[in-house]
Amino acid sequence: MNRRDFLKLSGLFISMHQLLPKSLWAKETPVVAVAEGQDYGAITRSAVNALGGMGRFVKAGDTVAVKPNMGWDRRPEQAATTHPAVVRAIVEECLRAGAKRVKVFDNPCNDMRRSYENSGIPAALKDLKNVDVRYMEEERYKKVNLKGTFLKEWELYSDALTADVFINVPIAKHHSLTTLTLGLKNMMGIMGGDRGFIHRQIEDALADVNSVVKSHLVVIDATRILTAHGPTGGSLRDVKIVNKVIASTDIVAADACATGLFGLKPQEVPITVTAYKRGLGEMNLDKVKIIKA
Amino acid sequence: MKISLSRIFQFFFLALFLFLFVTTDYRGKDEISVALNSFFRADALVVTSYLLSAKTFTLLLLPGLLVLFFSLILGRFFCGWICPLGTVIDLVTKRIKKGRPLAFLKGRIKYYLLFTILFAALFNMNLSGLLDPMAILVRFLTFSLYPLIGFLAREGWVGLYRILGDSRDYLDPGYSFLKTYLLPFRATFYPLAFLSLVFFAAVLVLERYERRNWCRNLCPLGTLLGLLGRFSLFRRLPARLCADCGDCRTLCPTSFDEEVLQKPDCILCLDCQRKCTFQRVRFRPSLKTGKEPLFSPGRRVFVTGVVSGLFASRIFTVVSSERATRLLRPPGVEDEEEFLQRCVRCGECMKVCLKNALYPASLQAGLYGLYSPVLHPRLGYCEYNCSLCGQVCPTGAIPRLPLEVKKKAVIGLAIFDKNQCLPYAKKMNCMVCEEHCPIPDKAIRFESVEEVDYSGKRITLKRPYVVDKLCIGCGICEYVCPLEEKAGIEVFKKTKKRR
Repeated sequence: MNRRDFLKLSGLFISMHQLLPKSLWAKETPVVAVAEGQDYGAITRSAVNALGGMGRFVKAGDTVAVKPNMGWDRRPEQAATTHPAVVRAIVEECLRAGAKRVKVFDNPCNDMRRSYENSGIPAALKDLKNVDVRYMEEERYKKVNLKGTFLKEWELYSDALTADVFINVPIAKHHSLTTLTLGLKNMMGIMGGDRGFIHRQIEDALADVNSVVKSHLVVIDATRILTAHGPTGGSLRDVKIVNKVIASTDIVAADACATGLFGLKPQEVPITVTAYKRGLGEMNLDKVKIIKA
Repeated sequence: MKISLSRIFQFFFLALFLFLFVTTDYRGKDEISVALNSFFRADALVVTSYLLSAKTFTLLLLPGLLVLFFSLILGRFFCGWICPLGTVIDLVTKRIKKGRPLAFLKGRIKYYLLFTILFAALFNMNLSGLLDPMAILVRFLTFSLYPLIGFLAREGWVGLYRILGDSRDYLDPGYSFLKTYLLPFRATFYPLAFLSLVFFAAVLVLERYERRNWCRNLCPLGTLLGLLGRFSLFRRLPARLCADCGDCRTLCPTSFDEEVLQKPDCILCLDCQRKCTFQRVRFRPSLKTGKEPLFSPGRRVFVTGVVSGLFASRIFTVVSSERATRLLRPPGVEDEEEFLQRCVRCGECMKVCLKNALYPASLQAGLYGLYSPVLHPRLGYCEYNCSLCGQVCPTGAIPRLPLEVKKKAVIGLAIFDKNQCLPYAKKMNCMVCEEHCPIPDKAIRFESVEEVDYSGKRITLKRPYVVDKLCIGCGICEYVCPLEEKAGIEVFKKTKKRR
């Protein structure tokens, strides 16, 4: 074989390789880490460590966007917003992994000052350097071509788009329209514009957004969950203490796993089903590797 | 140049006033400890008309009574030492060229004005806030100036983003500081912003004719204090202009229209004493009232006051159809009449309102209700966990309720318009209102029904409904209703049925 033939052959081989669906080559089983315990910071860390540690996602000098749920003017014990200890543990891990800057934000439904304040998250992060907990600003939304099935284009928050790493930190809770709100639904917080509009076809809208803005890491706060009257809640009667944190790189798998905490099957949550059908992740829990962290 | 003591006090109170104005806002706590309302509580006109119209007393207004009492002893010190509008006038008046005094303002007009206001109050119509000097100033700041400053700062900041992009973040500490301590959180524009500006500007325009023109010839608060001040124990000696000098005529900002010092107009700035070339002028405590002829309002003013007060109290009442339906008042207000008898129209509740739900009424509540706060759910809603408006109201027109009570205070009742609401009108799922409803047990609930939608598809439709006895009418449902035109759910006033 002369040199020319070798080049031809190897060129052919490489292009063939590209053509073959990767899934046939090596299908990675999605991993979901579930940690349980009463120290919410510690279980958050062990869940992330079980996936390989924050260093797997965050490299030195990265800008990280952390998106908790600070959507409502509620206190942490009312289980409508992400627990501050969970958020703090994640932010600390990011900084330890060498993040240049960590931006924490949400677009609340209630007054943003009250929602931020009462979530306890700004106070929990106050002493950390290189961490921004700022209100989202109108001018930072960028119109993004989503080319989705329902949303052709929509305004998304630029801090979420430009971050090197996007970490999605929802709380697991009941939601009247979508049955539950978890990782996929938490992405509504980076959306601008008239968000009420997307309710008429919310499953598709959320799949559209999630296929453009990928969560590199999803950490679901299930330390306490809201079992009814969500997403606002407000009564401690509806709150159940679960003491769990669920982490995964597969957003659908993470959501599917958290669904069980409510006594539901992933098939019963339309957002999860639509996202699965759209290829955003695995919802069949028998095809997911669940590790206790 | 030596600064007089009264000037120092004036600056101190103006600074305090502005400081309190800015701090009258949400600062991360559910409670506001000190707010601008302190000034209104010390407002003698507010307390007097409150007593006359509401015919009860509230401890909130004790400072106002004290000012009345001290004016009886000291004179009109409030005007020359404390009143922030007076200080603003003093600050700008030097730059305004003076013409001749306006003749029609001289004489009794201010007494007619004051007595009309006071008698109207007695006939259950409290109009004092409209012409109260501090209310004029606060409304100008709240509705006109502050939103404008906020708007300019905000636009400038956005403009910097257009130019600098994300590197604007380096400037963020500075802007954050301004935003936290100085600027309004949101740039809201208010109806009546222009009218508020006109009121304030008119006071300044009057300075073209003579110094402290508003204060000496119109201000009802000043006139009221002057009525008491004429009995004060402090007397200026000499009471007349001195034959050999007469500088006092130009030095005095308010009281030397005649040869004799007009005691009801003297604001005790003590400029005449300080600047007297011969060191003759003294202010001395004395029990003698003096023999100098003083202008007295007299019987005619009194009778005219009764008549015009009665007239005003009737003519200002305009019962509009909106009164019964969409005139939503701040949380805790139960009786419309009683509310208007107490409301000062100072605009503090609107300034402090977190979600900018409260706006000044233009004519919805009748001419009488001008500037009184009305909740517009399409523009903003009442935040469930917030009770700031009741905390800043100087007269308790909006009652100060404990948070747990406020959460149950009924503003109105939400009613679906099924011709608009998506699940009913278009057979589309929506539920945004139900999702936002802050009541822990949800005042908006839904039933799931199997339906065939208009494209022939079988769907499960979630149809919302209101649980009347839980709904407090906070308006968040109407605020978030995604319909661009008329909302599919609207809050209406819950009126007590009259027997």
